Parts: sequence; C-alpha cells; structure tokens
Amino acid sequence: MTTTAQETAPLPAEPWRRRLLRGLLYGNNIDRAAKARARVGLAILVFAAVYCIIAARLVMFAVIPDSRVARHGPSGDAIATARPDILDRRGEVLATDVRVPSLYGEPRHIIDVDEAVELLTAQLPDLDASELRERLSSKRGFVWLKREITPKQQKDVYRMGLPGIGFLSENKRDYPNGAEVSHVIGHVNIDNQGIAGMEKWLDGHGLAALHMAGLATDRLQTPVELAVDLRVQHALRDELVSARTKFKALAAAGIVLDVRTGEVVAMVSEPDYDPNNPHQALDPTRINRLTTGVFEMGSTFKAFTLAMALDSGKVTLKSSFDARMPLRFGKFDIHDFHAQHRVLTVPEIFTYSSNIGAARAALAVGVEAHKAFLKKLGQLDRLRTELPESAEPIVPKRWGELNTITIAFGHGLSVAPLQAVMGVAALMNGGVLIPPTFLRRTEAEAAALGKQVIKPQTSEMMRYLMRLNVEKGTAEKADVRGYYIGGKTGTADKVINGHYSKTKVLTDFMAVMPADQPRFVLLIMIDDPQALPETHGFTTSGWNAVPVGGAVVSRIAPLLGIEPRLDLPPADQLILASIRESR
Amino acid sequence: MIFRILNLLVIGVLVLAAAYVYRIKFDATVQAERLAKIRSEVRHERDTIAALRAEWGELDNPARIEALAKRHLQLKPTASTQFGSFDQLPEHPPQFLMPGVADPIGVMIENLEEPETVTGSVPAPDAASSAGEAAAPAAAAAADQ
Repeated sequence: MTTTAQETAPLPAEPWRRRLLRGLLYGNNIDRAAKARARVGLAILVFAAVYCIIAARLVMFAVIPDSRVARHGPSGDAIATARPDILDRRGEVLATDVRVPSLYGEPRHIIDVDEAVELLTAQLPDLDASELRERLSSKRGFVWLKREITPKQQKDVYRMGLPGIGFLSENKRDYPNGAEVSHVIGHVNIDNQGIAGMEKWLDGHGLAALHMAGLATDRLQTPVELAVDLRVQHALRDELVSARTKFKALAAAGIVLDVRTGEVVAMVSEPDYDPNNPHQALDPTRINRLTTGVFEMGSTFKAFTLAMALDSGKVTLKSSFDARMPLRFGKFDIHDFHAQHRVLTVPEIFTYSSNIGAARAALAVGVEAHKAFLKKLGQLDRLRTELPESAEPIVPKRWGELNTITIAFGHGLSVAPLQAVMGVAALMNGGVLIPPTFLRRTEAEAAALGKQVIKPQTSEMMRYLMRLNVEKGTAEKADVRGYYIGGKTGTADKVINGHYSKTKVLTDFMAVMPADQPRFVLLIMIDDPQALPETHGFTTSGWNAVPVGGAVVSRIAPLLGIEPRLDLPPADQLILASIRESR
Repeated sequence: MIFRILNLLVIGVLVLAAAYVYRIKFDATVQAERLAKIRSEVRHERDTIAALRAEWGELDNPARIEALAKRHLQLKPTASTQFGSFDQLPEHPPQFLMPGVADPIGVMIENLEEPETVTGSVPAPDAASSAGEAAAPAAAAAADQ
C-alpha cells in the first residue's frame, strides 16, 4: 500500500511527455513491479527449458551412437541389393550373391586429375582415358569409375594411394551353373534387380520393396527352393543339345513335369543363354519356347480329342470310325499320314495317328463340347506361372466344324507347350488338372489346387492308349526296357508366311512314365529337324523326337527314383484288365 | 556449519558418480567396438562362405563332372537292365535240419580239429619249442639234399 501511495503521489509531478510515453508502453493503470516479476518468471522458465533440452540431448548422444557405430562398419556397403540364394530341390546352389569391389571417385577431393587418369588407366587398361578424365573433372560428388573389379585390381589401385578414389563392395549375382538352368531362373541387371525368370518373380514378391527401403543389405534372407532338379535338368539339356546338332534343328526343348504335384522338375529350351552374360538373352532365337512361344502341337492333341470322346461316354474303346476315305469338308480334304484305308477302332486311331479318325471322333462329340473340353483343360487361356514370361494361345475367332476337325489333330490352335504338358498330365494322373509350378509343392497342396476335369476311368483308358502306342505304334523307339513308358507323337507342319510348309515341321513327343503308375510327364519338342540317312529321309516325330525321348528317359529315370521293372506284361493285360476289373 | 559439510559431501558423491558413469560409458564403448568388429568379421565370413559355395557350385556342376568322367573314367551310364531288386535274388538254399539240432557235419569238423596239429596256417601253441622242432627237421632235410 505504501508503495502505491508513493507512486501515486508523484504522478501529477511527471511531465506530460513521459506520462504519454508510459501510457503508450504499459497502459495507464498498470503495476510495473508485478509486471517485472512476471517477466523474471518467464525468463526462468525459458532458460530452464533450454537446459532441459540440452540435458535430454546429452542423454540421447550417450545412448544412440552405439547402434550407429555398429551399422556403419568398415565394410563400405554400396547399395542394399542383397538377394536370397536360389537352390534346386536337392539344395544345390543355382544363384547366389558374391561380394565384389567397385571403384568410385569423388571429383571434389581429387587433387591432380591427370595423374589420377594416368595411374588408373595404367592399372585398369579397359578404362577409357578420355571418358575417365571427363568424369573426374565433373563437379559431382560421386561417380562410378568401374563396377566389379577383381580383388587384385583393388589391391593395386589401393596401393597407388590416390585421394578421392575409393571402393565400395557390391553384391554381384553369380550363377555357378551357367546356361544349365537359364530360362527357369532368369537373370538380373547391373543393379541386381531381377529382369527375367524366377529372379523377376522374387522382385515381384516383396524383394523390390525391401530394396527400396534399403533393408536388403544382409544375407539373412531365407533361400528360395525351386522344384528343378539340377541333375535331371542337365541330363535333359545334354540330350537336347546333342539332338539339336544331330538333326540340325532350329531349336530343341523339353519339360519334365511331376504329374502328382505339378512341379516342373526340368525345363530346357535350347538355344539358351548364360545368365552370367545376360546380353545373350536379347537374341530372339534364345527365347524360352516353352512358355513364351505358342505352337500347333500336331498329333499329340489327339490325346485330348480321344480323352474327350471317351469321357463323354458317346465313344468307348471298342467304338470304330470310318477312315477308308479322306474326310471331305468343303474344299478341304483331311488325309492320314499312315493311311490304313479301313475302319479303325479307337486304339487304332491312336496308334496309327489317324487324322480322319480323330476328326470324326471330335465331330461325334460336337463343336461346343469340344471347345468347352479344351477350355476346361486350360488350353484356351493364357497359362500363368511364377515365370513372368507367358504367351496367350492363338484360338480361332470363329470356331466352326472345320476348326474342330483340324484342332482334333492339333492344327489351328496354338498353345504354349507347357500348357499342353499340363493338359496331358491331367489326362494321365487320374484326371486332376494341376497348374504347373516352379517352386516346391507337396502333394497335399497340389490336391487343394487341383480340379477334376475327366473321370479317373478315362484317365486309365488314356494311359492304356499311350502305352499301346509305344508297344505297337508310332512311338516304338522310345520303349526303354523296364520303365513302361507311354507316349504320343506329334508332327505339325510349320506355318511359313501364312501357309503350311510342305517340308518344315515341328515334331514333339509327349511321354508318361511309368504308364501304369504315372509319376512324370516328359515333353520333347524339336523345331525344324532335318532328315538324315539313318532316319531314311523322314522328319516325322517317330524318327527324331521319340528316340531322343527314349534316351532322356533312360538317363533321368534313375535320377528321379523310378525303379525299373523288367517283367511287366503288355498294356492289354496290365492296364486294360484293371479297367475291366474296376467296372 | 552443517550445511557446509552436507555440501562437501554432496560434491564428493557427485564426483564419484561422475567417475563411475564415465567408467561405465568407457566400457560400453569398448564393448560396442568389439561388437562392431565381430559383426564385420561375421559379415566377412558370410561373404567368404558365399564365394566358396559359388565356387563349389561351379566345380560340382554336372556338365563339368560329366566331361571329367568321360575323359578319365571307363564308366558308362547305367542301363535299366543293370538294376536288380531283392526279389530277383535266387531262393535261399533249403534248410534240411530241424531247428535246435546241431549240424552233424559241423560237429564232425569241430571234433576233427586237433590243437596239436601244426600246419602252414596253424602255428604250434608254444612258439619257442615248436620253432625249434620245426627248424630241426627242416635242417635235416636240407642236409640230406
């Protein structure tokens, strides 16, 4: 109270200017002492806050650096591009990461560009001097000088002690088996991103996101196991390479598919490429014909036709069709290659590979049913597997009777060979269509995915026909003793400039082993084989694809664990009798 | 007075605490550096293992093994007729004896065996004496000739 009395007392004595100033600054009736106390409090608060922040920051510095130190080791990681290893079904390495040093420069830290260029080109002769000079003279902070150098080169460059030149170790993808499994695993680009095959599939399944987040630095990722068996793959490829040179063919391809799980145990499309040298893959003749190519499969399609006829119930194994005369449709004549000029039963149609008989069998079932059956077997839609490469089948836009006639013996509908193998596997394994896979799959998983497309009895009849065709038909040359192979040959005239060629053919051989208890389906396909003296001038499948198939079976069957049984009765007694019993 | 002692005490505790914290911190740094070193060693080992596995894959490649086998071995691929199974083995020879009865011929052989008989493959039970006995007739035989 006294203070206020003292303050109020001299008030009138103040000059008016000061009073005005005070009024403008504080207001007229303000207690300045209280104001000052509040200000001091505020200052204390602010300083306290600043010291708190400093203290908290000190605690943070004490705690955090440990983890930072651990992460930035002396390893010099360049880019987070580690990829999981790819293994075959027995654990053999198909693709792995190897650390290689890469050379980089920091132009800002380089003292003498000329000296650096001179020394580096002396040590690394394949570096272009003018380009190197240009890169090192630029204003950028970081330039790659050479990716993937050898440890010796690294040591030599390190010894030169150039400022502003350093190394980063990068992951390089290594394919120890070279071209052996090229089309299945695909390859990667220089930045270790998958651009084909299973490598691309890996990127599509979370790996690319890991790379983006910079997390894929370490090797802790679990390896990916493929269904491929390297030994089988090699045996198949070896036989196909020698077949391609023997028959001077454009290409040779083969698949081994497990009929119970849909696993692709081996897949070769020759010519192939070395994934360590990926620019070979750009050559269009080296494409994977089995998934990216579509072909008219020829007579192997008769297996589908007869399976449809038998499954419909309108035709039995005892039915017969008139093949005395060529089948006339409009201006087209359908001929038989092995013409018999008589009435043929269903097994005879299959073993003589009669076009007329197959066409009549398809007509007996009808156009719509034919189309629906092939649709059910997945032959009319694009087949998608883990491999990014796939091709759409070429289906006639308007499907009339003539289309059904030609498709009955495998012309007029082009499918990817892998697709046809999937269909034949379904005909063999008791009628379950299982989408093929390149990854490991158990029988239980396959059963959950599978779809019953034909009756089990029909499947048994088809196995009988396949075996019969090897015992006394077009595929006799594939009868390796003990493995009870069944098979159907196919020879399709190639389309050259929109017309069927008279001389160029594509031959294929679809085999099942063993025919009584099917485990694997094998496809051998040879593109444009040439006639040889030992084939007596023939280029049909029975003279090239079939013997190759036999050679492949005798090599791969022991690897696949199929026991040879040398005392099995012929198909009439073994398979046909069991069909009769089950009825 | 009491406040002054308390202050001194607190300052002393503070210095001790600071020294202790410094020690802990220093130890932690040493441990962290060790950890980082071991981690980088582990990484290096993993890289080496990967490189060796890649090299093994290259050496173990079926194409390479096949080429080597063709060059150095006489072996050929197994034909399907070369496999056998247990049921293809011939029948077990028929058993004429009743179970529990001793084999008569076996018994005869056992009885025949006399431990004293010395042959080329059966040495005498006492090595020293038999050596002398065996040597004497041999010397005699040599002298006769």
